[in-house]
Amino acid sequence: MVLLLQYTLIFSAVLILVALGGMFSERSGIINLGLEGIMVFGAMAGGMVMVLLPDSASKFTIVVLTLVAAAIAGMLSSLLIGVACIYFKADQTLVGTAVNMLATAAATVIVKAFNTNRSNGTDFSAKLDYVKGHAAFMFNIGSLQLSWFVVIAAVLLVAAIVLFYKTKFALRLRACGEHPQAADSVGINVYKMRYAGVLMSGFFAGLGGIIYIAAANSTWHFDYGVAGAGFLALAVMIFGQWKPERIAWSAVLFAVFRSLSNVYMGIDFLHALPISGTVYNMFPYIVSLIVLAFTSQKSRAPKAEGIPYDKGAR
Amino acid sequence: MNNKNEFLKKPGVQTLLASVLCAVLGIILGFIILLFMNSEHAADGMFAILRNFFKFSNKPQQLMYYFGSTLVKSVPVILCAEAILFAYKAGLFNIGAAGQYTIGILVCLYTSLALGWNWFLCLLAAAVAGGLWGALCGFFKAFCNVNEVIAGIMLNWIGLYLTNIVLGNEICMDTTKSETYDLTSKNASGVLPGFIQGVFGNNQYMTIAVPITVIVAIVILIILNKTTFGYELKATGHNKDAAKYAGMNAKRNIILTLVISGAISGLAASLYYLTSIEHYKISSSVPGMGFSGIAVAFLGGLNPIGAIFAGFFVEYITLGGQYLNTNYYNPQVADLMIAIIIYLCGFVLFFKTVLNKPKKIKTNNADTNNSAEKSAAKKEV
Amino acid sequence: MDDYVIEMLHITKEFPGIIANDDITLQLKRGEIHALLGENGAGKSTLMSVLFGLYTPEKGVIKKDGKEVKIKNPNDATALGIGMVHQHFMLVDIFSVLDNIILGAEPNKFGFLTKAAARKKVLELSDKYNLKVDPDALIEDITVGMQQRVEILKMLYRDNDILIFDEPTAVLTPQEIDELMKIMKNLAAEGKSILFITHKLNEIMEVADRCSILRRGKYIGTVDVANTTKEELSSMMVGRDVKFAVDKAEAKPGKEVLKVENVCVKSKIHQNDSVHNVSFNVREGEIVCIAGIDGNGQTEFIGALTGIDDISSGKISFLGDDITHKSIRYKNTHGMSHVPEDRHKHGLVLDYTLEENMILQRYFEPDFSNHGFIKKDAMREYSNRLSEAFDVRSGQGPETIVRSMSGGNQQKAIIAREMDREHKLLVAVQPTRGLDVGAIEYIHEEIVKQRDEGCAILLVSLELEEVMNLSDRILVMYEGEIVGEVDPKKTTLQELGLYMSGAKRDNRKEA
Repeated sequence: MVLLLQYTLIFSAVLILVALGGMFSERSGIINLGLEGIMVFGAMAGGMVMVLLPDSASKFTIVVLTLVAAAIAGMLSSLLIGVACIYFKADQTLVGTAVNMLATAAATVIVKAFNTNRSNGTDFSAKLDYVKGHAAFMFNIGSLQLSWFVVIAAVLLVAAIVLFYKTKFALRLRACGEHPQAADSVGINVYKMRYAGVLMSGFFAGLGGIIYIAAANSTWHFDYGVAGAGFLALAVMIFGQWKPERIAWSAVLFAVFRSLSNVYMGIDFLHALPISGTVYNMFPYIVSLIVLAFTSQKSRAPKAEGIPYDKGAR
Repeated sequence: MNNKNEFLKKPGVQTLLASVLCAVLGIILGFIILLFMNSEHAADGMFAILRNFFKFSNKPQQLMYYFGSTLVKSVPVILCAEAILFAYKAGLFNIGAAGQYTIGILVCLYTSLALGWNWFLCLLAAAVAGGLWGALCGFFKAFCNVNEVIAGIMLNWIGLYLTNIVLGNEICMDTTKSETYDLTSKNASGVLPGFIQGVFGNNQYMTIAVPITVIVAIVILIILNKTTFGYELKATGHNKDAAKYAGMNAKRNIILTLVISGAISGLAASLYYLTSIEHYKISSSVPGMGFSGIAVAFLGGLNPIGAIFAGFFVEYITLGGQYLNTNYYNPQVADLMIAIIIYLCGFVLFFKTVLNKPKKIKTNNADTNNSAEKSAAKKEV
Repeated sequence: MDDYVIEMLHITKEFPGIIANDDITLQLKRGEIHALLGENGAGKSTLMSVLFGLYTPEKGVIKKDGKEVKIKNPNDATALGIGMVHQHFMLVDIFSVLDNIILGAEPNKFGFLTKAAARKKVLELSDKYNLKVDPDALIEDITVGMQQRVEILKMLYRDNDILIFDEPTAVLTPQEIDELMKIMKNLAAEGKSILFITHKLNEIMEVADRCSILRRGKYIGTVDVANTTKEELSSMMVGRDVKFAVDKAEAKPGKEVLKVENVCVKSKIHQNDSVHNVSFNVREGEIVCIAGIDGNGQTEFIGALTGIDDISSGKISFLGDDITHKSIRYKNTHGMSHVPEDRHKHGLVLDYTLEENMILQRYFEPDFSNHGFIKKDAMREYSNRLSEAFDVRSGQGPETIVRSMSGGNQQKAIIAREMDREHKLLVAVQPTRGLDVGAIEYIHEEIVKQRDEGCAILLVSLELEEVMNLSDRILVMYEGEIVGEVDPKKTTLQELGLYMSGAKRDNRKEA
């Protein structure tokens, strides 16, 4: 049961951060289907930092540098979406999909090249090992093993809620996603706000990516990307009605189901059930489909999302 | 001068130019990546990818053999592209093609390996299953208002795990090799009949899958452009409110479109796996064919015939990765190039704008206006 | 020397193919209400966009208080104290009134909103200018008239002293219009200078001090309103004498074609009905008009009637046939034609060619299809015939992509399609919206011709002139109900206004 709690916390942290990222992007008017890909880039950058840091590095250095690298990589890769969708007015669905493909392919190539170089041509795998890095993030409260990642996610969640409801920035951001012409008419630079929204999604999804691969594992194969976590986060965001506090609750709900597939072995009555382990893998996806089926009818997405903004077209 | 401009303004020509531009830019960026990885051998590497099987040009027998293999391997990606563009014309982004394809693998291999059905029945079963998987996506879209992209992605993962469970069974899975049994040994009647294998250096994988693919493309072209059904679908895709106003049944069309799209995806899988050129392995990620299909569909200018050429090109580049010297590069560089090309396809609209207004791009209010409206209409669907 | 607060001198703005503003000069005096009059497409919006920095003119200068200024974007305009109430309100639906007012000029401390001071200022302003609003209400919950007050408060909150009103009365009831006129006079008295864009002559006569007239991108002149007449203004506006009335003979109503009984439609937004208990009938050879302010249930009712929206209760009979729950296709093929309110949303597939749009409801009929294949020749021939009969003009004939056609020709194409289909009832919603005078006259004539041929016509219009001139019977809709039925020959605009604003209602016996 403790294990279930641990996994739930970790997956909640991932889903909350990535879904918040999606929320900021969509609130600014850009549908970000590339969250999955951004997570991969964030994960890769963070993972590489953990591998590269010398053994003598302090825990604190590891934690900070890993997070910074993941966030920056996430923001840079989110620009792939930002520039295409905002400046070039490209189809947001297509670009998001492309970024996902690009991320997995690029991560595979880069990590392989990275390994090849470091091993002088003996290791061609697309795998990163970061046992030490993984350990640096862990601390214990009693028998419960916790990760700094979870703490950071909690802090960012609170920050996001305050930002979303209390600041001038968020008011403007939301106006751009609802009625960009209105925002423009009062002198708000819609393009700038949308870039801000997309960059924030990069920041959050990048962090989500590193947590996803590093909080529960000490090694990761990059040819698999992040196995649909970004899309689960999108479902969480929709279920959370594009509002930070509701996103937090729905993330926890989804995380419980996601965790079951990792820990059902340890829970006697689940283990005793005559179901293959793979079935548990399906769980979060089935649940999200059902949840979406019941909530999508009434869901209220930001009105102007998905529509490229054009100053001339008033 | 004027004639030239007129020529450049034809939509077909523009689409072609934009696609070629995407491909060329993608190759150039791929080259730059090679340069980064190992500047010394970048030119050789690029040459190896592009020369591809023409390396055997002095041995015509082998050349044709590898040409045939590339054709066979293009079949699934072309058909997935047909599935995706068909749905796209009706305003649906069928990212679920990947899952429908996976279900196609599941059903064609299970019916063949476990039930010992004849190839034709296996094909049919896979197409039906793919269609049903598409219908599920359509159902969520039409009746529950779930975005087809999200529903499709969830169904992709569910389909993947389902396939892992069923094909992981000992009846289908050769546990010593951890891949499904070879069809030729287990159920020879399940292998697709050959097609002019002699011409292709006796390539045993050269089957009727290739001509069937071309026929499917032509049928789709005809359906879209000549029939009332195609008229309805495209009207729905362009403007679903107007389609409703005109008395078209939007819900029925959404489901029907995804059924057809799914059936083509299922067909794609069975036409590939029933040649026994590849066996299914337990996978932890959804087969990429459906995603590459998106690239091919857009690269082919969303034209059923264009998709054939784009599919061949994409497969040509992907397989070209295998000609890279693995001491310096890994073959996934080719995948990366493909991913870059699909990303660039997002800019097609921009390329076309440039072609339309060679002089003034900035003051091009009317055009950008339209594009905004267009995407608005798309979004609503 | 006059005291001009804003001068736009010799402004020329070209777009590919047209000169939207050709050497236009506009001078606004301090504290005056200055009307800018012109038809659709006369160049009013372009001129205002130039003033707002949205377009850069090719020629001409703008002066503020006699000094030349450069306005490159809306921020520059705001900094100069210029504010605008847009025709389509620039309000975020899900934001509160207060949030909308402060958006773009948010009082804040380190980026955190400090709304208390803003709320105080808004309440003071609303008191001073008698602009009653609830700062915490959401925009989507308040009336259009109130939304307009929010727009005005937005300008006042920013201390703008040059106020531009772009067609502000289009969506208001006559009573709300009176209210607005009072507010505008009030603002001018407080020293604000007002530019009032309109094509309604009565309003100019009532409120404006001076009036500048544009026609087809050219500057025609500026007159003192006190020394002019409506007739003079209107001939300056259109360049010829305008026929205010539509020629038509007395209606000769025949058999009942459409009977609507107690129809209700559930609202998609709130809990109540958006259409409540509507009953009436339409007979052969008469034009029945549903009048009312935009957003009082007309759209929903027509949606339910034609099948685009669901009907929650009630009965609709058409030629004696119960069609309440019949499909759109059934209604289309059994004699109901529909000119939709929004031609871009419903009426046309903009990316289809003209000929493809012409067969939008008929593509499956034997005339145009053969075993599931479209008969391209028949489609071409049909489109050519209609285009000729209804004078639809397009660049490349039947192969023209409809998106590239002008609004007037798009509308004519729809009218042609709907009038040519075999029908006993024509439902026309705002058939002349956004069209120029010539096209309007043409469409009005066609509608009357249809009537005289024995067709039943149900017209929905927001333009009172159109309502009064065209209809044989007028039904007024208010908050989803029919509150009155009047004879256009016996009523006045004022009476209609009372019905439209809910101030008056008949106790109608059930039809």
